[in-house]
Amino acid sequence: MTIRTITRRTVMLMAVSALCLGGTAAASASAATTSAGTSSARSAAATSDDGWIRLAHLSPNTPAVDVYLYSFGVSTAFQVLRHVSYGTVSAYEPLAAGVYSVAMRAAGAGPTTAAVLSTSVTIQAGHAYTVAGMGPESGLRLAVLDDTLTTPPGQALVRVIQASLQQHSVNVSFGGQVLQNGLLFGEVSSYQAVTPGSEAVVVTDASGGGDANASMSLAAGTVHTLVVLDGAHGLEVVDLVDASGDAADPVGGVSTGFGGTAPHGPPSPLLWLLATATGAALAMAAGLRLRTTRRQTLKRT
Amino acid sequence: MVLAAGIVVAGGGAAGLLLTHHSTPAERPDTLVAALPAPTGKIVAPPEPTQVTPVAEPVALTIPAIAVSTQLIHLGLTASGALQVPSTTAVAGWYTGSPRPGSVGPAIIVGHIDSYRGPGIFFRLSLLHPGDRVYVRRADGTLAVFRVTVVQVYLKDHFPTQAVYGPVPDAELRLITCGGAFDPARGSYLSNVVVYATQV
Repeated sequence: MTIRTITRRTVMLMAVSALCLGGTAAASASAATTSAGTSSARSAAATSDDGWIRLAHLSPNTPAVDVYLYSFGVSTAFQVLRHVSYGTVSAYEPLAAGVYSVAMRAAGAGPTTAAVLSTSVTIQAGHAYTVAGMGPESGLRLAVLDDTLTTPPGQALVRVIQASLQQHSVNVSFGGQVLQNGLLFGEVSSYQAVTPGSEAVVVTDASGGGDANASMSLAAGTVHTLVVLDGAHGLEVVDLVDASGDAADPVGGVSTGFGGTAPHGPPSPLLWLLATATGAALAMAAGLRLRTTRRQTLKRT
Repeated sequence: MVLAAGIVVAGGGAAGLLLTHHSTPAERPDTLVAALPAPTGKIVAPPEPTQVTPVAEPVALTIPAIAVSTQLIHLGLTASGALQVPSTTAVAGWYTGSPRPGSVGPAIIVGHIDSYRGPGIFFRLSLLHPGDRVYVRRADGTLAVFRVTVVQVYLKDHFPTQAVYGPVPDAELRLITCGGAFDPARGSYLSNVVVYATQV
């Protein structure tokens, strides 16, 4: 089962907009419950009250788990991700704002088995969250991370999650920019503003060796999470694009109409009045001249 | 001669007055329009979290439910920072400063509702409903499919920049055209219609 099982997108909107005229207000997302199967058929219509959640397994020595998602207080999960193993991060899924529960059980253990870990998550509209199993197996915990979506103008944001047990402390750099120094296992750094570009990401351990390399493109307006993992052959670094906006936000609305199909009032009658008046004046003048000419003619005879 | 001419002109003026004194109602999009067939081609799934390969640029847009089929030109920003619009009302355009359709974030596509004389490419945009499919063809021949989530109308004077252009963590579309009342004094519509869609 792959992480794509929860990429069943339904709807979302950003934070509530100030003026929504005549929008089609649709029913809010209702959670269909299922205790078996992978993703539920959440055929919810759009609301502007959605946030996003993604799930991650970042404990190197913990076996694969099944992750259960519940609406708070409901005993049957509306979604189950099966066999999520170390290093897996799901895509974001939209959920209506509200309170939810996340429980992790040993893979294949069944819904009534005692959960290895559980936590509640409060989802606010327009916000994104990562719920990650972190730490060593002996000290496993579920961390609920508040994910930033918006960057300072013209910049990118990068944070680092240190999920390598082999290297207790790591240093991370992006090209010439130092992102983290001495980030410890299980720690999540704060977001760093980074100058956009395409550079090499280099992760080294405390001794300066054992490095992991990846080349990364950071575009302005994007938010990334780098995850440092224990790979098969040493340190690995994975680049997650958390969010992306525009390189530059356009100003204001869009001028996309010329009025050809808009209703028109009666055109100005001025032109027609002018024509009528001119015609009448011409006719009168001509008529007068005719009369004068005829009188003169009559007079002569 | 002049008399005759005068009578004709006056008569014409009067006739004109009588014939043109009525208003023209709005031209409304025909709700019963024959839908187009869905485009064929390789449909690409929404992006994975670790997506590294950039998606290809969008080249065409098809919206079967409202019989829209258009190539996509490139749009930038004007000198004053506003969104450029296509120079013809028969095609739609993709704002190159926004993510490519099928990448994380809101891809912006814009088209005219009408020209001076009649309907434009996005004349029927406001007829879309949640669930309608929108297809974007990319330069490599693949298709990104989106599902309409909501249709909103906003006054341009209170345009919600964050809601429309703000970052999102998944692959989305914003289809934008004009709507609402037309202001003849300004020669423009007072509102924008924004269709939100999410990749499926």
